[in-house]
Parts: sequence; structure tokens; C-alpha cells
Amino acid sequence: MSAQDRLVSSEQHSSERKALSVSEALDIVKGALKGIRLTIVGEVSEVSAKRGYKAVYFTVKDRSSSLSCLMWNDIYRASGVDLQIGQEVEITGFFSLYAARGTMNFDVRRLSLAGEGRLRMEVARLAKKLKSEGLMDPARKRKLPRFPKAVGLVTSPSGDAVHDVLRTLRRRWPQARVVLAGVQVEGANAPRELVRGLSCAAAAGVDLVILGRGGGAYENMMPFNDEGLARAIAACPVPVVTGIGHEPDNFIADMVADVRASTPTLAAAVAVPDRAELLKLLSARAASLSAAMRRVVDGAQASVRRLSDRPVLKDAHQLFAQDAMAVDHLASRLERVLPANIDKQRNLANQLSARLLRVLEGATSQPRSALARQSDRLALCLSSGVPRFQQQVGLRAARLHDLSPLATLGRGYAIARDASGAIVKRVAQVSVGQPLAVTVSDGVVSCRVESANEIRTDTVPL
Amino acid sequence: MTDAQTDTRFDTTPVEELSFREALAQLDGIVGELESNTLELEDSLVGYERGVSLLTSLQKRLTDAQQKVDVLMGELSAAPDDVTRDTTLS
Repeated sequence: MSAQDRLVSSEQHSSERKALSVSEALDIVKGALKGIRLTIVGEVSEVSAKRGYKAVYFTVKDRSSSLSCLMWNDIYRASGVDLQIGQEVEITGFFSLYAARGTMNFDVRRLSLAGEGRLRMEVARLAKKLKSEGLMDPARKRKLPRFPKAVGLVTSPSGDAVHDVLRTLRRRWPQARVVLAGVQVEGANAPRELVRGLSCAAAAGVDLVILGRGGGAYENMMPFNDEGLARAIAACPVPVVTGIGHEPDNFIADMVADVRASTPTLAAAVAVPDRAELLKLLSARAASLSAAMRRVVDGAQASVRRLSDRPVLKDAHQLFAQDAMAVDHLASRLERVLPANIDKQRNLANQLSARLLRVLEGATSQPRSALARQSDRLALCLSSGVPRFQQQVGLRAARLHDLSPLATLGRGYAIARDASGAIVKRVAQVSVGQPLAVTVSDGVVSCRVESANEIRTDTVPL
Repeated sequence: MTDAQTDTRFDTTPVEELSFREALAQLDGIVGELESNTLELEDSLVGYERGVSLLTSLQKRLTDAQQKVDVLMGELSAAPDDVTRDTTLS
């Protein structure tokens, strides 16, 4: 008789009030439940996995009911699930009755996470795979440029996130050009769009890319757990900063990114420096610069002062005191020495002078007597020569007198001269009105020609 | 000789041609050198002058900048509260 038959028969015989033993009753139930294989979804509310137990005991519940489950250790381990309270699980198995206590259990033969739990497990599996490939290696993480000139932003063009990022960038580092790739961040197309946005931004020549979206339900964030996006982030030519959702969620994109921030605003904050802080830094540098310069100048001044305080510069006499004293000493020696020398020289000169005098006197006495002799001879010669010369001069003078024109003039002749002093010998030499000087025996008469008449003679003029 | 050293010790590239990073690095270097107090007084003065012009340029760059946004993909929505929030922030 099958359990079903027994159940039916028990109903049929209920009127007969035939009592069953406990075991018989439970046997009927056991039989009725056997063979009914079910798949159930519920939330884990209690877990008891104690050492030495042959099975793991846990409870699965929904809003109004709960179900005790057991799972043999070997099957549990093979499932790969680590049961935690609150997990949504999908279990497949059948009901069984523990006759010793009259309780019913669900004997789980297959266990898997359901809903978000399942998603998380898949994500964890992908993370493990990518990690084993080295995509999350800390050595791969690139440093962000300190002062980016252009920042790529890949996010939804609508909503708070994009404006949070833009505002933060504007406040902190407005000099950076922002290249926005506004893409879908939810839905089936989102992973492909995110990848395209990333490559577009990188191609626009940005220094880094911010990949962001605001918080949301876990399943809506799944595009950021996409393997294709993870590989695109790893392959991006410039560093990628993620700012996805709220803590404590961590996505594959976060793990692969060079820098991970928990929100879009924080991603923007780590991506660029803070202008206000830099201005503060520059003020500090300005102060350092002035202070350092002041120290240099003070140092130089101190050096100069130190030198100027040195005795040699303070009292110039120090510089040549030794020499001055030496000069004085020499001068006094010279003063003593000079007069003595002069006296000595003077005596010597006097002696020489006396000697010279004596020598000269001896030397001149002889020539002087010779000179007197010569002088007497000369006088003698002269006195004998002069009378002869006087006689000859008289003769000459008489003859000169005979020939002189003055004698002729004395006889009444005259000599006429023109203005140039030339002697007028012919009438042709003068013209009427010309002045002539006529020399007579005792002077000169100035005349003017009245007329000139030639007197013809046959005598040939001399 | 002092002149030659002066010429080579400090970069003379026009400050505007330097990137922000380069200019800041140069400024840090000059401050460090002046603080080490190992320079000739003349070199210190040249360094100081260079430092001041770097500082002025950097400060100007920080205070004068205006954000530019190029939208490559999608259509940027106007945040309704953007205007009011912006005026209080910047």
C-alpha cells in the first residue's frame, strides 16, 4: 500500500476511530512526503554548522513562514556557498520527517544563492578570475597626474552625479578642461556605452578619466561589474578614477581602476588638486622665499659688518704703522748722517780748491811773460808799417779828388736826375711837366720841365 | 665667471611657457636653494626675482581659471539647483 493509499484509507476509516501508533502515523506522513521534489527560494534566517555535525542545519523563511532545512556536509561543501543569515538562496530537495522528534525538515540536495546574492557570487567569481590574470595587481595602478590639464568624465549626463562631479572640479581645479561622455549607466546597453565613453574620452586627449555614477540598487549597478568594462579600464591609456555608488559597495570596475573613490564627488576630489590648498601652499612658498632672501642679505650684511669691525679697516694707521715707523727711523738716521757727510765733502772740496790754486799759479807765470814779449814785438811791427800806408793813402786821395764830379760841379756844371734818380743825358728822356732834381755844387734844386728842345750836333755822343 | 654661473644656475625660460607642474617644481627648487644659503649674493637675488615671477604666474593661473566643459556624448542636463548652488560655491 502506497502512502497515498494509506492516507486515503485513513480518511475513509476515520469514522471507525481506529487509532494508529505514532510511528504508524509518521510513517503515513513520511510516505506522503516522499518523492515530492521541490525548488524553493527564501531568505536564510538561522544557520547552524557545528563541528562534528554530519549536516548543516539552517532555516529559510519568507514573510510569513519558515522552513527548517538540513544539508549533508558533503553536498554543502560541493555547492560552494557559504551560508550567511540574510542571504537569498535557492534550494532544491524534498521534505523528510525526523521520526525520533516528529519534526519535518527540508533535505536540501542543491543550494545556490539567489537574487543579489547570486549576483554577488558571480561578481566574486569574475573578480577572482580577473585578479588571477593580474588586472588588480597594485603594481599596475598608475599614479594620477598632479595637475591635470584635461579631465574625462564618463557618467550619465542627467542626474546628480554629473553635476556633483562638475561642481567639485570647478571648485577645486577650474583650469582643467572637462570632456564629458554622457552615457547610459543602467540597462543592457550600459556596459557597451561605458566602454565607448571611456575610449572617446581617452581619445580626446584627457590626462585621466573619472568613471562615475550615484548609488542605486545592487542589481542596477551590475554594468560596473561587467567584464568587458573591467578590461577596457585596464587597457585605458590614461589613469581611471572610479566613483560608483555608496560605501560599502565595491565593484569590479573599482577593483581594476587605478584609484577608487566611493562616490562621484570624492572621485572628482581625488582626481584634481585643490586650488585653495595650492594658493595656501604658494603663500607659504612666498613667505619662505622672502625669509630665505632676507637671511641671505642679513648674512651678507653681517659679513660686511664683521669685516668692517676688523682693526685694520677701522683704523687705517694700523695698515702702515710698521712702515711709517720704519720711514721715520730711516729719516732720523739720514738726518744724522747727511750733515756729517756734507762737512766731510766740503773739507775735501776746500783742500782740492787750495791745491788747484797752487797748481794754477805755477802754470800761468811762464805763459804770461811770453805773451808780453809777443805783444812788444807786435807793437814794434805796427809802428814801423803805419807811416808807409799814410803816404800811399794821401796819393790816392788826391787822385780821387781830381776825378770827383764834385770838382766839376764846383766849376758850375749841374747833374739832372729824374724821379727814379736816373741821370738825364738827352732831351728824349724827359717830358714837359716832369719833375727833375738838379744837383749843383752845394745842393739840389727841384725843377719842372717847361720845354725840351733838342740841339742838333754832329758830334757823336759819348 | 660669476655671470656665466648666473646664466646657467636658474632657468630663464619665460614663465608663461612652463606648465603649472614645471613652474611649481622650479619654485620649490629655488626656495630650497635660497634656504640652503650657499649661493653668491648676486645669484640669490637672481633666484629671488625668478621665484617671485613664478609665484605671481602660478597664483594668477589659480585665480583666473574658468571651467570649460566639452560634451562628447549625450546631452548634459541642467541641474535645477545648479545656478543657486554655483553662486554660493564659486
